[in-house]
Amino acid sequence: MDTLMKILREIDDGIDYEKEKFLIDAHILDSFGVIALVSEIEDTFGIRIEASEMVPENFNSAEAIWKMIRRLQENL
Amino acid sequence: MAYHTNVYLLLFLPAALITYQIVPQKMRWKVLLGYSYLFFYLASGKLVIYLAGTTLLTYYASVWMAWLKMQCRQELSGAEKGNKAEIKNRYQKEERGVLLGGILILLAVLAYLKYCNFFIQNINDLLEKSGMQPFLELKVLLLPIGISFYTLQAIGYMADVYWDKIPAERHLGKLALFLGFFPQIMEGPICSYSNTADALWKCEPVKGENLSAGCTRILWGLFKKMVVADRLYVVVCEVFGHYEKYSGAIVAAAAVFYTIQLYMEFSGCMDIVIGSGRMFGICLPENFRQPFASESAAEFWRRWHMTLGVWFKAYVFYPVSVSRIVKRWNQYGRKHLGKYAAKLGTSALALFPVWLCNGIWHGARWSYLFFGMYYFVILMAGIAVEPVRKKLIEMLRINDRALYFRIIRILKTWIIIFTGELFFRAEGLQEGRQMFYSIFQHFDLQKLWDGTLLTMGLDCADYYAVLAGCAVAAIVGMVKEGNLLGEDGLQKLCLPVRWIVYYGLIFAVLILGAYGIGYQQVDMIYAGF
Repeated sequence: MDTLMKILREIDDGIDYEKEKFLIDAHILDSFGVIALVSEIEDTFGIRIEASEMVPENFNSAEAIWKMIRRLQENL
Repeated sequence: MAYHTNVYLLLFLPAALITYQIVPQKMRWKVLLGYSYLFFYLASGKLVIYLAGTTLLTYYASVWMAWLKMQCRQELSGAEKGNKAEIKNRYQKEERGVLLGGILILLAVLAYLKYCNFFIQNINDLLEKSGMQPFLELKVLLLPIGISFYTLQAIGYMADVYWDKIPAERHLGKLALFLGFFPQIMEGPICSYSNTADALWKCEPVKGENLSAGCTRILWGLFKKMVVADRLYVVVCEVFGHYEKYSGAIVAAAAVFYTIQLYMEFSGCMDIVIGSGRMFGICLPENFRQPFASESAAEFWRRWHMTLGVWFKAYVFYPVSVSRIVKRWNQYGRKHLGKYAAKLGTSALALFPVWLCNGIWHGARWSYLFFGMYYFVILMAGIAVEPVRKKLIEMLRINDRALYFRIIRILKTWIIIFTGELFFRAEGLQEGRQMFYSIFQHFDLQKLWDGTLLTMGLDCADYYAVLAGCAVAAIVGMVKEGNLLGEDGLQKLCLPVRWIVYYGLIFAVLILGAYGIGYQQVDMIYAGF
């Protein structure tokens, strides 16, 4: 989780990722931020994020992103 | 049979509602499907075969993908760990083949019917310019209603099955109803299967509250179309049809009038569509959310034709964004060129196909393609200047949430929108360019009140009706934007006020609606897409 938080802060350090629960729905993290996040996550955690995972529920909060990473790691 | 006609509102819709209500619940989906195909047949005749063909293709392609998924699971359950990745990849490849095959067939039909003559015309023009004799003949092609809308719904459904977001539908009737439901077949909204299909299938009995909410919504749509849009149509046709005669403020006013006409008409049609669905107890997705309150072009597209935007985001933008080429560029860019350049490049790679498709989707015209590219450039410029904008705001200590600053941003967005719509409506790209340049020639604001506008088919009373209609729409928009009535909407108001609103709408449509000599019943613009 710490690694993920580091990646998130690198993408936009003005967002309070511990509190925000609607990063996508409230347009706090834009689509381009999500794209940058996806490639960083793939490199760091050795997973592949398909287009089917690109739904707000997977990116709305740090926990949701972490949950998706864990799920994709388990499916490897 | 358009949604605003008497035939639809006073005959077709009531007949569908009565039949729906009197048959047993398990037969209701058949009534809806029957009326949907009847609606399509009445509008497009034997071209209904295209809708049936699309439904069959979508059904079998998705069932095939589901069968492959099941085979894959069975093989995986008995496989050794080392072989699992290979099995998964093999089946995924096959599924992708089925998906791409289905999408390509649907797009090929759409392209043939909608763009064939455009290509022939352009090839002939090229041949003529290079001194050769054009040899390709234009074809007589009839376009089924709503093909651009139901094709997108079908593609979205197949992609969702492929991505495992939804299981493949085994009941052909349920899928046919999702793709062909009559209130939304002609102009959308473009629905996703997961949000709409179950509500359609539930077939709830007709309820008083749904009838009342549906009727009010339909009346509101008629008000916007008949009081404002159909009046502005007269002036818009005059200026855009004889653009050589006009310049300066009149052309600028025509661009504004067309934007208002398009909004009032398209959103009005959506009100009728959503109201019709509501009468059957079905909540169709909203397509507009106060677009003229947008502070940027990007925000405008999140509020205007929302279901198209959501579709492009889900099925074009994100798949392109997570493609290998974009990811590789992003990694390379961030490492070697810095965050800013990486973001610019990624944005361009992901946004270009979206706006190219958006332009092409509207029709086979260079001006539509230009319209798509116009927004691509505007959005890219917005991304490019964002860091400078933020720095300037910080340096000048501007409160970017202050009302004056928001108004400036809204006005800037309006100029972007009006300019885009001028090119969108112009008879062609060349004509659009000439009209745009002509705004800056002899720009004289006095033309707006020296009587010129009264020579274009509308009199003073018409303009007052348009102004009053726009004022009412703006107030309703502000109430919605501020969420002043909450979820309940009109129901929150006390009974007498509610009835004043109902009667106000009825009388406004009857008295102020554009009827009679000098007016003609105006077709819905988006029905042509």
